[in-house]
Amino acid sequence: MKANKFKKLTVWTAAWLALGGLLSACSKTESVADAKADNGPASGGALVYLEQQAHTNLYPPAGGFYPNGGVLNQITDKLTYQDPKTLEIQPWIAKSWTINDTATEFTFELRPSVTFSDGTPLDAAAVAKNFDTYGRGNKALKLPVSEVINNYERSEVLGPLTVKFYFSKPSPGFLQGTSVIGSGLVALQTLERPFDELGDATKIIGSGPFVVASETLGKELLLSARKDYNWGPAQLAHQGRAWLDEVRFIVTPEDSVRIGALLSGQAGVIRQVQAYDEKRVEEQKFVIYAPSTRGVNNSIVFRPDNALVADLKVRQALLHATNTQEVVQTLFSHNYPQATSVIAASAQGYVNLAGKLAYDPQKAQQLLDSAGWTPGPDGIRQKDGRALVLAAYDSLPQPQNKETLQLVAQQWGKVGVKLQVLSGDAGVRVVDNLDPEKTPVAPGMVGRADPDVIKSNYYPTNRNVLLQQGGVSQKVKGFVDPQLNGLLEAIAAQTDTQKRLALTAEVQNYLIDQAYVIPIFEEPQAFAAAPWVREVGFEAVGRPSFYSTWLAKR
Amino acid sequence: MSFYPYLARRSAQALLVLWAAFTASFVLLQLLPGDALLIKFLSPELGLGPQEVADIRAAYGADQPAWQQYWHSLTGFVSGNFGYSLQAGVPVSQGLATSLPPTLRLAGLGFALALVLALVLALLAQLAPWRWLRGALYALPSVFVSVPVFWLGIVLIQLVSFRLGWIPVINPGKWQGLALPTLTLAIPIAAPLAQILLRNVDEVLTQPFVAVTRAKGAPRLWVLLRHVAGNAALPMLTMAGVLFGELLGGAVVTEAVFGLNGLGSLTQQAVGNQDSAVLQAVVVISATAFVLINLVVDLLYPLFDPRLRNRLGV
Repeated sequence: MKANKFKKLTVWTAAWLALGGLLSACSKTESVADAKADNGPASGGALVYLEQQAHTNLYPPAGGFYPNGGVLNQITDKLTYQDPKTLEIQPWIAKSWTINDTATEFTFELRPSVTFSDGTPLDAAAVAKNFDTYGRGNKALKLPVSEVINNYERSEVLGPLTVKFYFSKPSPGFLQGTSVIGSGLVALQTLERPFDELGDATKIIGSGPFVVASETLGKELLLSARKDYNWGPAQLAHQGRAWLDEVRFIVTPEDSVRIGALLSGQAGVIRQVQAYDEKRVEEQKFVIYAPSTRGVNNSIVFRPDNALVADLKVRQALLHATNTQEVVQTLFSHNYPQATSVIAASAQGYVNLAGKLAYDPQKAQQLLDSAGWTPGPDGIRQKDGRALVLAAYDSLPQPQNKETLQLVAQQWGKVGVKLQVLSGDAGVRVVDNLDPEKTPVAPGMVGRADPDVIKSNYYPTNRNVLLQQGGVSQKVKGFVDPQLNGLLEAIAAQTDTQKRLALTAEVQNYLIDQAYVIPIFEEPQAFAAAPWVREVGFEAVGRPSFYSTWLAKR
Repeated sequence: MSFYPYLARRSAQALLVLWAAFTASFVLLQLLPGDALLIKFLSPELGLGPQEVADIRAAYGADQPAWQQYWHSLTGFVSGNFGYSLQAGVPVSQGLATSLPPTLRLAGLGFALALVLALVLALLAQLAPWRWLRGALYALPSVFVSVPVFWLGIVLIQLVSFRLGWIPVINPGKWQGLALPTLTLAIPIAAPLAQILLRNVDEVLTQPFVAVTRAKGAPRLWVLLRHVAGNAALPMLTMAGVLFGELLGGAVVTEAVFGLNGLGSLTQQAVGNQDSAVLQAVVVISATAFVLINLVVDLLYPLFDPRLRNRLGV
């Protein structure tokens, strides 16, 4: 009887599956819209944009989080515009500027008659207040300091459209810092609100081509074009108001639902396409955009405070035991170029160090042997009774980071080193990641198109990925590298461009010679768009811009 | 025992349960390594220095002793102030105001549909003219139980929305958009209900009074509805109260798949970020719902069972 029941069940299931197959076969005939001849940009229309995650706090210096940057880039303008191809800094809200020889005083002349969407003027007073807040923070309102502004002292309003900034030490990166997402200009009423309220997008009043029309918290954001917008960067071919009438951001966490919605015509652009889905998208004549984040590459870093990786030879061995080509070929696509230095090839000051990063397992074995680590009975190397077992947490925002670390763990396993790939909730992750004993290895990357980006990643009082003493971590016993920090400080303060780029080259060499870092690939942000969505733009570190976007006939 | 003291006693119990839930969740959140402040401000995206982080912690009162923080948030809750969500950057009440209605709609509809499915299934299984069909219908709950919610949601979306284009997943109408999630949620909930109902109907059918009624020539459907259904439904009611928890759990997955902004996705994000203000609010709200539903179930019991009715004097 029981077997009989089961047989019926299978028949039933098979019938159901067959029905599903039939239905999907029927709909295969629907064709993909072929690209029609265009007569140039068309005005109007609404673009549906699918986000993987809801935005969090939209205080502009928190714009590094991908979903936040995607919103802020539509609703705020910046003092200057960085050309995403040449990385040159060009006028935007600032018409012109002068910088003194020591890069401690910056004076900006602003474009006239620019307004925020609440009608208040974007003038010298507003700009001064913006950078006073970003450069110094505001304790009463709990607003933190911006990562991109170094050595900020004060502002001075010299005229209605002239503003001057003073720095306690040279700050050559400041000019580029005025062009980034984190320096989006907002109205005074936004800066008067406490940090706790700035997750509400309708409270972020900018001067950008789009305005937040409505928000369903955690789900949807409706942007509408500002009809009177007339102050886009002069370099852009498109001027005046945005072509689109509306952009609708919809949070759709599930990867397959985003792709399916795009391919079935329910959405125009989606963010975060996994490399393994790219082929499917392109086969249907949809477009993949993978703008580089142009900063510190997706890397694995060591925390030398931990005795296991304190020895240069061990770190060098692991550098040569890592087959980045295999990682890129197995897990990613041509949109994820294999790293050839600490920073991306398209980043400022890049030098090609591919020769120092060669995969060489024999050399790795020799280095480990000479460092005194000998293979134990279980294949894992040992020394003085300790096994060479390391651990790292995967990083959720980085594409396929867990898979990357697991593949690297396999590669290291071949030379007798065990890497445990850990996952945990955000609390455990943050606490353990500050403890070199618990996480001697960590993934790291940061995007910004200025040499200061290297300082952001490695300097103790910034992101401090190497966990040096002097940072937020209380667990570091003694590791500090004055030579590295000296180089990083020099980059942040060197006013001569050529010397600054030379220092950038020097620090890349130093980081690899010390084997502090194993660069894996140049990280893009991957988007997919329907063929009828034209001119999707990206700023210098890959945040989307829909200012020039228009919709062709479907 | 009369009704009103019973209600008062149950209400006092409910308040005690809520206070215990609040306290327990507060203690557990304190015990966890890390906190929302740490996660928010030590995240490398902000690149803050040690002094800045210390200042912010002081500004949020995170350096105060635990009992002060406990008192602060408890009194806040009692006066209806749920605090701020650090991660989302909005007051918790604002987050709840947008998250609660979609979840209530989804859970309510899902539960109603599950009940209907279970009843229809039980009825059909009894009335089916062919043995093989009855067998298949009896087997269906086991199939339903073993279907993962996540997989079911994805299959429904792929088929109904992407292939057939019947219902858009992106930008659907308010009720239109609930069709697929409701079905996704209802199927696994319907399964245990149907199983219990089927078993009980079979049991009741063997009772002597049924044999008597049938011997008198009553039609099968009439016997089922008039005499068997009421008796068989009682255990299902108890089960329904317990299933509410599953409903919330299922909602987390369903909301993630369909991108609904309900309590489930709010909780998921808050857990990930240890956003304690949000978590406290969710715990208290869920506890309230549990207490209320079980109260309703207890109050409904006498309606189905005359013996209880007499004892309570309702």
